[in-house]
Amino acid sequence: MNLRHIWAVTRKEFHHILRERSTLILVLITPTALLLLMAYALTVDIQNVPIAVLDLDRSSLSRSFVQQITAGEDLQLYAQVNTLDEIEGLLMHGDIKAALILSPAFASDLLSLRGLPLQIIIDGTEPESGAFAVDHIAWRAEEFINTAISDQIQARGFSIESLQPIDLRIRTWFNPSLKPRNDLIPGLISMVLGMPALSVALTLAHEREHGTLEQLMATPIKRSELLVGKMLPYIIVGLVNVIVIPILAVLWFKIPFNGSFALFFVLSALFLFAILSMGIIVGVFMPTQAAALALSFLVIFFPGFFLTGIFFPIASMPEMMRMEALGLPGTHYAVITRGIFLPGVGLNILWPYAVMLVGLGFAFTGVAALFFKKKLG
Amino acid sequence: MANSRGEETVAQVSVNHSIPNHLIPMPPIIETRTLTRKFKENRAVDSLDLTIKPGELFGLVGPDGAGKTTTLRLLAGLLYVSEGSGTIAGFDLAAQPEAIKQRIGYMAQAFSLYGKLSVLENLLFFAEIYDVSPAAQKERTQRLLAFAGLTEFKDRRAAHLSGGMQKKLALACTLIHEPPILLLDEPTTGVDPVSRREFWNILTELHLNGTTIIVSTPYMDEADRCSQVGLMYEGRLVICDSPANIRGQLQGDLIEIFPEDWHQAHRLALTLEGVREAQTYGEALHLLVDDGPQRLIEIQEAFASQQLAYKTARIAPIRMEEAFISLIRQMEQR
Repeated sequence: MNLRHIWAVTRKEFHHILRERSTLILVLITPTALLLLMAYALTVDIQNVPIAVLDLDRSSLSRSFVQQITAGEDLQLYAQVNTLDEIEGLLMHGDIKAALILSPAFASDLLSLRGLPLQIIIDGTEPESGAFAVDHIAWRAEEFINTAISDQIQARGFSIESLQPIDLRIRTWFNPSLKPRNDLIPGLISMVLGMPALSVALTLAHEREHGTLEQLMATPIKRSELLVGKMLPYIIVGLVNVIVIPILAVLWFKIPFNGSFALFFVLSALFLFAILSMGIIVGVFMPTQAAALALSFLVIFFPGFFLTGIFFPIASMPEMMRMEALGLPGTHYAVITRGIFLPGVGLNILWPYAVMLVGLGFAFTGVAALFFKKKLG
Repeated sequence: MANSRGEETVAQVSVNHSIPNHLIPMPPIIETRTLTRKFKENRAVDSLDLTIKPGELFGLVGPDGAGKTTTLRLLAGLLYVSEGSGTIAGFDLAAQPEAIKQRIGYMAQAFSLYGKLSVLENLLFFAEIYDVSPAAQKERTQRLLAFAGLTEFKDRRAAHLSGGMQKKLALACTLIHEPPILLLDEPTTGVDPVSRREFWNILTELHLNGTTIIVSTPYMDEADRCSQVGLMYEGRLVICDSPANIRGQLQGDLIEIFPEDWHQAHRLALTLEGVREAQTYGEALHLLVDDGPQRLIEIQEAFASQQLAYKTARIAPIRMEEAFISLIRQMEQR
């Protein structure tokens, strides 16, 4: 490989990125915008879940219980109602996702330690919000018991621990009060930083469409020089995002960054190499930009979203999909981002994932170079 | 150099030929043997035997779809060869395409430079790809910019150039490594007449300096400016000779007549003795006849007896255009 040739292609590509506003936006702004969008979209729905309360007890204890339930940002008291029919109406209209019914014996049962007589009705068409409401009502009810009536309990010679009235299990990524973003955002970062792969797939298809690839093929440039020269600028631009995105995560989302930034930077470069190689493969095989765009989503972004373990644990996937997940750079990079952000682990733990990224990068580039011929047909 | 008549240019070129006499006869610089390229079952180029000597200005003509572009792409190493073989500058077409690419300048039919780059940046990009030394780059870019008349536009983005200037820039880019062979695919299609003339002046200058040029063109006046012309039809090379010899293929004379009622005149002309062929040329009717002076009188008499009015009727020189159309018609009738 001749460095002059690679640099000539890289420099040309830089001109194209910097002079074409849409490309510049795609590579520089999209990762940030996507991160903001998804971080909010995936947490905003499960804040302020509207609920209705039917308080049949109307005691001071039941009133303070309702106040406690809706004190946070998680559950929002949409309406205090007087009949079950009203609840049905609100659920049908989708105004509320859950309804809480306090029995007439609420205060007396609670104070006599007979239990917590609550009924929760949830909207089954939106199970996430419903489950969230159940979890949070349970969690706040426990809090209520711990604070409001602990004196009475202790006065009767019981300990609170022995009386745990509710089995509490909360899924972390759906629980804002447990800061789900701490876990979600490093995962999302691994996804959004892969966006330049799309640009690289498009740029090769663009040259094919505009006939400039035909002109290049008629020159003595080597295939590897062309492919590397095309990837290099997007790796460099991608590294700008590698600096910007963690700053956004730390300053805006208040995510702790406990590991080494230098390690994060280097491993991110390896990830960019691997994911851009996937983009190059797409560009090599697809004749037009439209086709390259479609295939990029099919083989890079949708699997990157669903199969890399950001949302759904890889361990719970079927065997076949687990194998596919191993072949995706995002799978290994998601482990790296989470590991460096939260526990702040080092290379002693992350090295197998780094090795996988390098391996995948070379494998993908090799496939691209193998199938990229300097021929029109 | 810039003659208005094609024949004179060719004559001048053969006199001023810069290749020393003692080197003639030279081995061909481009040679193909039964070169064939199939797309599925369609033989886009069919058993092409082409022999081009160094320093030739070779015009590849033929109707659309005749296989001109496929031929040039095959020679540029851009397509796999289906059958047959070929050598360019001694290198095998199928086995050594990269060695060939060092020695050719290829210009595709469509504009294929980088629109976002300036004129100068495009030139420098190709200079780097072709390993032109930094010292030579400076001198050559300046010379080529002046040569192509683009010096004052060197900082303009290629996308913002006129069609003619884009073609000249593309030519300059193919010349940056001073290749001995140029392959140009319809370089003047869609270019205004003045730019077309300028472009051909540049080609003639390159030709006079000894560069071998293969240029495909749909324009017959351009074919007239070539030293050799190959006529392609349905993937085959129908005829390959000098323009004068190709014109000479057409026995007889050409009569040009401007009739008032074109349709009737056309019908009548084909019934007359000695008229082999009638071609339309704008308002004129071009009749290919066996004996010009004699038939001119007969045609005038026939028109008069049928009371068909016409403006002028005269014997005109046969050009490539008539020869080309006549040859294509013969092919179509087979």
